[in-house]
Amino acid sequence: MVVAVVLPGCSFNGALPIDADSADLIPNAFLQITPDNGVIFYCPADEMGQGIRTGLATLVGEELDYHPARMEVRSAGAHEAYNNPEYFIQLTGGSNAVRAFYEPLRQVGADTRALLLSAAATDLGIPATQLTTEDGHVVAGNRRYPYGDFVATAMDLDMPTETPLKPATDFRYIGQDFTRVDALVKSTGVAQFGIDIDLPGQLSAVVVRSPVPGAQPLSFDDSDVRSQPGVRHIVPISSGIAVVADSYWQANKAAQRLTVEWASNSLSQLDSAQVRADLEDAVAANNGVDAASEGDLDTAFNTAKSTLSATFFAPFLAHAPMEPVNATLRIDGDKAELWTGVQAIGVAQGLVARITGLPLENIRVHNQFLGGGFGRRGTLNHIIEVTEIAMAVEKPVQLLWSRENDLQNGLYRPASLMQLRAGIDDAGRVSAWQARRAGGDLTVETLRNSLPGLMPGMPSGMLDGLATGMDYLFKNWSVDPSSVEGLHETYSFPTYEIAHTSVDHGLPLTFWRSVGHSYTAFAVESMMDELAETAGIDPVSFRLNNLQGKPRMQRVVQRAGELMAAMTLPEGNHLGFAAHSSFFTDVAQIAEVSVNNGAIRVHKVTCVVDCGTAVNPDIVRAQLEGSVMFALTATLFGEIEIQDGAVVQSNFHNYPILRMDEAPAVEVEIIESTAPPTGIGEPGVPPLAPAVANAVYRATGSRLRDLPLRLA
Amino acid sequence: MISFLLNNTEVTFDGDPDTPLLWVVRDNFKLKGSKFGCGAGLCGACTMHLDGAAIKTCVLPVAAVAGKAVTTIEALGTPDAMHPLQTAWVEYNVPQCGYCQSGQIMAAAAMMANVPNPTDDDIDRAMTGNICRCGCYPRIREAILSVAASLAHEAVTGESTS
Ligand code: FES
Ligand code: FES
Repeated sequence: MVVAVVLPGCSFNGALPIDADSADLIPNAFLQITPDNGVIFYCPADEMGQGIRTGLATLVGEELDYHPARMEVRSAGAHEAYNNPEYFIQLTGGSNAVRAFYEPLRQVGADTRALLLSAAATDLGIPATQLTTEDGHVVAGNRRYPYGDFVATAMDLDMPTETPLKPATDFRYIGQDFTRVDALVKSTGVAQFGIDIDLPGQLSAVVVRSPVPGAQPLSFDDSDVRSQPGVRHIVPISSGIAVVADSYWQANKAAQRLTVEWASNSLSQLDSAQVRADLEDAVAANNGVDAASEGDLDTAFNTAKSTLSATFFAPFLAHAPMEPVNATLRIDGDKAELWTGVQAIGVAQGLVARITGLPLENIRVHNQFLGGGFGRRGTLNHIIEVTEIAMAVEKPVQLLWSRENDLQNGLYRPASLMQLRAGIDDAGRVSAWQARRAGGDLTVETLRNSLPGLMPGMPSGMLDGLATGMDYLFKNWSVDPSSVEGLHETYSFPTYEIAHTSVDHGLPLTFWRSVGHSYTAFAVESMMDELAETAGIDPVSFRLNNLQGKPRMQRVVQRAGELMAAMTLPEGNHLGFAAHSSFFTDVAQIAEVSVNNGAIRVHKVTCVVDCGTAVNPDIVRAQLEGSVMFALTATLFGEIEIQDGAVVQSNFHNYPILRMDEAPAVEVEIIESTAPPTGIGEPGVPPLAPAVANAVYRATGSRLRDLPLRLA
Repeated sequence: MISFLLNNTEVTFDGDPDTPLLWVVRDNFKLKGSKFGCGAGLCGACTMHLDGAAIKTCVLPVAAVAGKAVTTIEALGTPDAMHPLQTAWVEYNVPQCGYCQSGQIMAAAAMMANVPNPTDDDIDRAMTGNICRCGCYPRIREAILSVAASLAHEAVTGESTS
């Protein structure tokens, strides 16, 4: 998700949301140094498993010269000081946090270290040039003084700026493996998630929503609900009907007794077969909007040695983060406090402000650990819900979505149909490349959902106008980047044409780990495998033929090819290869697969990655391992189906997630690099599905072009 | 009124006996380490020990534990005195989002109590009820095997490796 939208003045810029002892030094929004030499780091990105607290603490710690593992890392509050440097709002997504904060946070560390050094110079009466530092201490000759000793003096000094940063050769923490800062709390049950908030007098809310997204209630009968144990309130809200009780279990149980008659809407007649047919019609109509093109395609196809076309399909998917979304809100007079775990806390603050009418400075947001994000926690309909409920019941309220709510009332990765056509020349290069994609536009929709929180002061009518304009723009003139990203960029095709047709069925959409790449890589890398075979060239050499001017990916593919050539396989196992660039990172994967009685088994996945500087190599490896598992779930099982406008899948029995006995071994090789870091949370996802599909072809002779992969 | 042992302390609950143990532990006894993931016995986030055996507590009425001993992650070990599995979890950087990990560790601990030197198949069998959406499976396996190896080493030499 790389969309830079400048929305000036839409973040809170009042006092910093930091509660500190007056003896503590707060040199900037990110650091707090205590007289006993503790360092608290206010992490501007949300920890959802990707290891960002450790990664960003490492950047600050490197220049501050303080071991990141000893920092206390806290989630930053809502404030523009913590805006993502590329998005200009507080947003964690698009695998950009380490990349975007790489310089700014090292600068914060360097300037703070310089401040402490000048305070030490003052206190010790030694020129700063004769002082140095070592892991939280100022060193003067053979004496060491904790940073904390100089906190009081530092408070009266001006903050240095533009302190020179270390050269990479001097790094002590960047590039090293060490324990994640959150490993201990997450291994002992101590880590606090949004669901764990338990305020005095807190009530629990469950919302009954229409099975068909967006449908409004015509009438409801709660007579059988009110008498249930623990039930306190029944509150109609904008998204459905909230049942509020003393506990979640009571609320959820009572909610099953609510009978609602729902209006029908444009989705009510829809089913999965219709979605597929509509996408096929859209591609066949061949009237998509031009998303990118180069060269004369007709001539290129006419002169091609051979041509090939194929159509690929990827279904709707749910994120199913392990912790269902939730939020706890306390409105107390003219103040409000929100506890939740989201990828956009400024938007959360703005939504509470808009709905309650309270000013932003009166709303504190306490972001907790996120029990998985994957894009799901970037759209905040649950924050709207909890605010409406808390205002109605005038008590602190925790709203919790059940797993059924999560799968049936959520937001989805759009279904996509991709038709590819390619021509190859005598030298085994792709000389003509054409891709048409039909499906929904998730960036536009996510932005539209975020506007009310981004601009809490703008009247709803104006927001609607803005949203309508945006929709018009993307449907008729421009293409949502997420709809087509990855359809050609990995390679250096000389002649290509990418076209897009928006097909919006009305099922709510949003970012899903690796976004557009999650479907485009499947199409492109399956196609590349078919083309290599047509050309009579091995898959690795064929890809290298098409990577002129892409030295990073060349190296990744080359190295993966070497590893693949050295593999010895048990009888019956087959290899599939795929490579894809996303979020500025290059990844190649080799899947080792066997097929028995139609069952696909992935034994091992070998990854080669170039993500620039690996700030914490072990976390890079963990992200690739996790990406492989996440992508394998989608490859083998992932499908959200629609029947009569409603989502069929409801829990893990019919939306299965990969389990221990199905998990492949994963090996990761990181290409050594001193280039600035690039994304790592998502780039491991896209190549997996085509790598597995390509291996299945070798095992069975069947080209599977629909996800999830199913052998007839 | 239902009495049971919760982390070695006698407790009583006088609410609805159908209330799942998970919610009694979380809401009434305020132990938040055990998690809610599906409410249907499908994911293992709510795993505790009942008389030493791993059990999914989101579908277990509290009435079923009357007179029995329930152990949660909070009593398996603490940050200052971790269970060997927890030490290994930290050492191998197992957790990502961390939400499933209490359940994973409780499932692994129950297995290790019976099968201190598990094979890959033993691990598959014991851990398959616990979903990790972040996909920490390879590290969970590694961490379990490392504890098994150090237990085996201790058994042979009488020395602890840690
Ligand atoms: S919450 Fe109990 S098994 Fe999922
Ligand atoms: S660590 Fe996130 S679900 Fe397991």
